[in-house]
Amino acid sequence: MKRFALSLVLLTTLGSGLAIAAPSKKVKAVAPPPPIVEEQEPAPPNDVLEPLNRATFALNDGIDMVIVNPLVTLWNGIMPTFVRTGVGNFFNNLDDVYVGINHVLQGNGSAAGADFQRVAVNTTVGIGGLFDVGAKMGLHKVDGDFGQTLGAWGLPTGPYLILPLIGPSTFRETTGRFARIATDPRSYLDPVPSYSLMGLEYLQTRADGKANEGLIAASSLDRYVFVRNLYLQKRALMVKAAREKTSSAASAN
Amino acid sequence: MQHFIGHLARGLSLAGSVAALAFMLGFSHAQAETVAPDELVRKLAAEMTAAVRADPELQTPGSLKISDFVQKNIVPRFDFERVTQIAMGRNWAKANPSEQKQIITEFGRLLTRTYSNAIATLKDLEVEVKSTRVITANVDVTVKTQMIGRPQPVAIDYGLINGPGGWKVYDVTVEGISLVAAYRDEFGGLVSSSGVSGLIEALKKKNGG
Repeated sequence: MKRFALSLVLLTTLGSGLAIAAPSKKVKAVAPPPPIVEEQEPAPPNDVLEPLNRATFALNDGIDMVIVNPLVTLWNGIMPTFVRTGVGNFFNNLDDVYVGINHVLQGNGSAAGADFQRVAVNTTVGIGGLFDVGAKMGLHKVDGDFGQTLGAWGLPTGPYLILPLIGPSTFRETTGRFARIATDPRSYLDPVPSYSLMGLEYLQTRADGKANEGLIAASSLDRYVFVRNLYLQKRALMVKAAREKTSSAASAN
Repeated sequence: MQHFIGHLARGLSLAGSVAALAFMLGFSHAQAETVAPDELVRKLAAEMTAAVRADPELQTPGSLKISDFVQKNIVPRFDFERVTQIAMGRNWAKANPSEQKQIITEFGRLLTRTYSNAIATLKDLEVEVKSTRVITANVDVTVKTQMIGRPQPVAIDYGLINGPGGWKVYDVTVEGISLVAAYRDEFGGLVSSSGVSGLIEALKKKNGG
């Protein structure tokens, strides 16, 4: 009796399975999807200054709405694409010097070599950095900054921090930013050209990021948290990559 | 009678696994026909870029044709249930089955709606499949791709799982950054501040209804 019941069930199950499967030509091996392995829950972000950060975040939104967005729209509207690309390339070329310096500080000689090669090619063939000839030669721009170097050296991230105008940062990245400003030759120009150049770079950076900002605003429920997570993920990845290079360089010595 | 139902229930699950086994053995030739995950990603990307290039309407963000196209070609290739479960993390257990269903639906709508607008950009892009990392053979893989056409190539990795409906995407990382992880922080914050119902409310509001 038991056996009969079992085989009956078996038969009907198989039968119905076949009946369902028959119309579609491609019958796939049906295996139950594996259960989701709960990775250990990531540690909550270090955001002890959240109330202050949220206030600065809102302030930045206000500044964006009143000043930055109209300027970006104007900039995108009056400047032809090739000019905007040229301006972007020009500042990227300046930045590549710092990327190279940081790769040296991180003990990543090969990356530094590529960075300086980019600067050399783009400054000469690329007419002062207006054209990114390096990228066309397969030398793509990579990330590198003082905050990353400090991280590679073992300095912890520290609390998350929203900077006025600039946006997401951390204590460590802010320290790196100061190092950059202190070593930037533009800081030692007269105020008018100095601020104009920095303002132009800021505008260009913001114009570049516009599409992503729109996508983040459209897809997030709490934009503050969403942006914080994306930013911290990105910084952690950059530091991890640099750390791996630094330790492999150290062990090679 | 109770006794019989007990046996029936036990037999049923046994029969289920036997049936699955029979399918695997009997139709192993069919399995060779099914598309490998990297091939699937390559094929989908090629089909999509070709479709967008050929049709100006698909290049207009917000057009009805885009949402239709996405519903037909992309949505069936995503495992929204799994995406939602991962985004919920340990909060998943706090939601009752009907709430879970609502979260899956609303989150699926949110993702579909917002990323539909990115379809238009495919016009100038090319997707290259670089490599595949096998996490569990024939079950769970990561297909690594590179999107070319921007000043810098963008690395996009797709986590795919093999289930009853074939291979489906359950995670997307852009340059190593996981979108699902960003949602997990968001969902966690909302659940702890206003509960599961608050999260559903927020999702519905975001979807405009």
